[in-house]
Amino acid sequence: MKHLVSGALLAAAIAAAPLGAAYAEINELKIIAPAAPGGGWDQTARSIQHVLQSDKLVGNVQVLNVPGAGGTIGLAQFVNSSKGDPNVMIVGGYVMVGAIITNKSPVNLSMVTPIARLTGEYEAIAVPAASPLKSLADLVAALKADPQKVSWAGGSAGGTDHITAGLFTKAIGVDPRKVNYIAFSGGGESLASLLGGKVTVGISSLSEYDAQAKAGKLRILGVSSAARLPEAPDVPTFKEAGVDVEIQNWRMIAAAPGITPAQKQELSQTIEKMVKSKAWTEMLAQKGWANTYLSGEAFDAQLAKDIAATQTILKDIGLAQ
Amino acid sequence: MDTFAALGSGVMVALQPINLLFAFVGVMLGTAVGVLPGIGPALTVALLLPITFKLDPAGSLIMFAGIYYGGMYGGSTASILLNTPGESSSIVTALEGNKMARAGRGGPALATAAIGSFVAGTIATIGLALIAPTVVDIAISFGPEDYFALMVLAFTTVSAAFGSSVTRGLTSLFLGLSLGLIGIDLQSGQARLSFSVPDLLDGVEVTTLAVALFAIGETLSVVAAGARADEIIEPVKGSVFMNREDWKRSWKPWLRGTFLGFPIGAMPAGGAEIPTFLSYALEKRLCKKPGEFGNGAIEGVAGPEAANNAAAAGVLVPLLTLGLPTSATAAIMLAGFQQYGMNPGPLLFATNPDLVWGLIASLFIANGMLLVLNLPLVGLWVRLLAIPRPWLYGGILVFATLGTLGANPSLVELGMLLIFGLLGYVLRRYDYPIAPVVVGLILGPLSEQQLRRALAISVGDPLVLFQSPVALTLYALSALALFGPLLFYILTGRKAPVGADED
Amino acid sequence: MSDSRPTSTAGPDKGRFVIAFALAILSLVVGWDAWRLSGINTYSAVGPGAFPAIISAGLALLALANAVEAVREGAQERPRDEIGPMAWVLGGLIGQIVLLAFGAGFAIATGWLFAATAKGFGRGPVWGHFLAGAVLCFVIYVVFAKGLQLALPAGPLERLI
Repeated sequence: MKHLVSGALLAAAIAAAPLGAAYAEINELKIIAPAAPGGGWDQTARSIQHVLQSDKLVGNVQVLNVPGAGGTIGLAQFVNSSKGDPNVMIVGGYVMVGAIITNKSPVNLSMVTPIARLTGEYEAIAVPAASPLKSLADLVAALKADPQKVSWAGGSAGGTDHITAGLFTKAIGVDPRKVNYIAFSGGGESLASLLGGKVTVGISSLSEYDAQAKAGKLRILGVSSAARLPEAPDVPTFKEAGVDVEIQNWRMIAAAPGITPAQKQELSQTIEKMVKSKAWTEMLAQKGWANTYLSGEAFDAQLAKDIAATQTILKDIGLAQ
Repeated sequence: MDTFAALGSGVMVALQPINLLFAFVGVMLGTAVGVLPGIGPALTVALLLPITFKLDPAGSLIMFAGIYYGGMYGGSTASILLNTPGESSSIVTALEGNKMARAGRGGPALATAAIGSFVAGTIATIGLALIAPTVVDIAISFGPEDYFALMVLAFTTVSAAFGSSVTRGLTSLFLGLSLGLIGIDLQSGQARLSFSVPDLLDGVEVTTLAVALFAIGETLSVVAAGARADEIIEPVKGSVFMNREDWKRSWKPWLRGTFLGFPIGAMPAGGAEIPTFLSYALEKRLCKKPGEFGNGAIEGVAGPEAANNAAAAGVLVPLLTLGLPTSATAAIMLAGFQQYGMNPGPLLFATNPDLVWGLIASLFIANGMLLVLNLPLVGLWVRLLAIPRPWLYGGILVFATLGTLGANPSLVELGMLLIFGLLGYVLRRYDYPIAPVVVGLILGPLSEQQLRRALAISVGDPLVLFQSPVALTLYALSALALFGPLLFYILTGRKAPVGADED
Repeated sequence: MSDSRPTSTAGPDKGRFVIAFALAILSLVVGWDAWRLSGINTYSAVGPGAFPAIISAGLALLALANAVEAVREGAQERPRDEIGPMAWVLGGLIGQIVLLAFGAGFAIATGWLFAATAKGFGRGPVWGHFLAGAVLCFVIYVVFAKGLQLALPAGPLERLI
């Protein structure tokens, strides 16, 4: 019954929409999570769903999972089927930027209407506690001596971890194609190989290493943020060690292509309200996600910069032409 | 002694009526989703996370534990009765279990699976409580070269155990290996055999292939046989429950399955499938009536089911001791821990002892509850087979496509189900074994990735493969599996009990 | 095993020849892909083309072995398969995909699958089974959407709730 009512309200809203912005409250929203249930994007989508509904910012929110190929399958479906539809949004992230390039995806992020960056994580480089590498300077020296001898454990080839390893190597003047990168399919497996001392260094998001570092099993050499992070104040940034690399594995929400500026404005406002809500802050704290909210032109510019940099480094690593 | 005190207080936490209710809801839900191919505990817990985050942490983690173990039960029930493996770790169970069900021995098959799961789950959970830190140190010391050797062992034992014709068995295996190539190569990021179809970039899903080959292929074969296959499936022949001989033939496989499943499950890259393969191969070797294998041998259900459940408990070893999620379900459980602000990692036992022990205790309770709930239901479950065939097979196809669509609402996925279903029909028609196709799909990519990792770390030096004692031991076992029967023949002058004998 | 174990007659086994031929084609496809991959310059010690090359070679050998066995074991008499009932089941599966592609939704598409399968096994009428199947699947849809928050494909029926 509730849905019949909200459906009727929706119909009324659509009919009333041209009359004025005051009536254009969003009653129904579908969020596409371009990943299987449980993954980061899915959890982001479901967190958004939860907060939008509990704070009554949107009447009814549905999450639709369209997994596959680093999010590019969901993106393609979104671009192709929801043109001009203000009631559909998609969750995405930095991983998509790389996947679009390496998978030669026919659709890309210029075909959607980015609304805002919501959360993000920073990359960290870690070594086993017993490793002779004590600092980023030691790692730089080892890489300069022989990049092949330094094996990196991280996620799948061409992903954020691999890109960061490539950027790091390139920044110190070593050919990024020589990065001896060992891809693992899950965080647990790559962490196990690092703890077992099977690889020289591990590269992943800071949160994966944090607990192990606190227990004294790993040593985190550095993070990819601009300044030191509150959760790891003792860990220097790459920049402090003279390696000019800054990268954030962010997640965002975008709207459909071809919506009107007014519709974009409204969605942006709704998302902004959500980000400023208490429920969202609590949700982020619960999940351990950092709030890296960025919207409007600042986000557009950051996105363009990320896409260009990713294109270059993937070419340098040899994963894109 | 501390351990027992801690476990005792954990039991007290888990035995509170409200937590018992959570456990009950969990096992019921887990069983329900476990039955559906493609939809498993990982997905269910993931979907429930946002709903449960306002609940009390102990309660919801206990519910997740129930879902986790319940999923295993549901997976094997579907395998045995419907031949639609609900989870990839219950594929092996379908081999003998469904044959038994068709011969009117579904009751004993379900019972040995349930009791075996209980025995294995209990022993493995005790292992988890007592020796987790020791086990995890050994598990972590496994390198890619050791895993590769483990895969070689799985390949050799499994290929010796499937089918009577070497050519046919290898043909099926290589079909599976070819399917395993499809998708993005993890190490290089290159797309293989994807022909620019984006849906193929993630490769072939194991449950999709297994359900297509087993359930849809079988439906097509039966319907094509028409009146010829009009044998009546007797739901019950003899006792619904296990008889004396069933018990005698089951208890050793339960124990052996447990000792294969727990350590391999505890390895970060071990998984739950490999122990079920190894257990099946081992039971076939040790069985006094090897001729029954392929026609419904109870050992072939008891061993793999125990292995599968022990592996499920094993997966929790690296999760609870180190915070390492080594399976999809473990990763979601970890997300559950994080949701309640717990520090997932080596300090979990120290920082949140009542929760960890509450969880371990609730695993015992979930296990017991599943046994108590499932055994009386065995008689009811087997009645499923009394449903007239048009409805039974119609229902099987609905189930198969429902699971696939629920996990991934993609028409390409349904198309694969159809194509692999036809493949399953053709393979049956020309007497090629089905299981090696699935084995190839699972083991092919795993072994390739481990080999390439090992060689990348050693910068291309192949000697690294033969330097670790663990790897050498595993190779020796592989050689024994391959040439053992031959050796047996030479030494005794008798024909080996089971072997790769060509027709 | 026993009922389908064929008896041997004169001449080669045509069915297995076709299988051998299909394996040869598969070997070529995998081999071609391996060749394409070997041209891509990657950093790793063993490239993405190595395993495909081995599998391609294995498939080629198996194609040969199957062909040899087809000749050696001779033609096999296999019981005829009934095309009609099979067509119903296949029609059910294909129909489900087509209906979903046209947005008919889970209940209607899967209801058709149920009806067609039942018909293939000799139980009609298709309409009655379709209705029963669609109702059953609609209930499943509701349970999934409400209980698990999992979106199965929605059509006109599903949008009613």
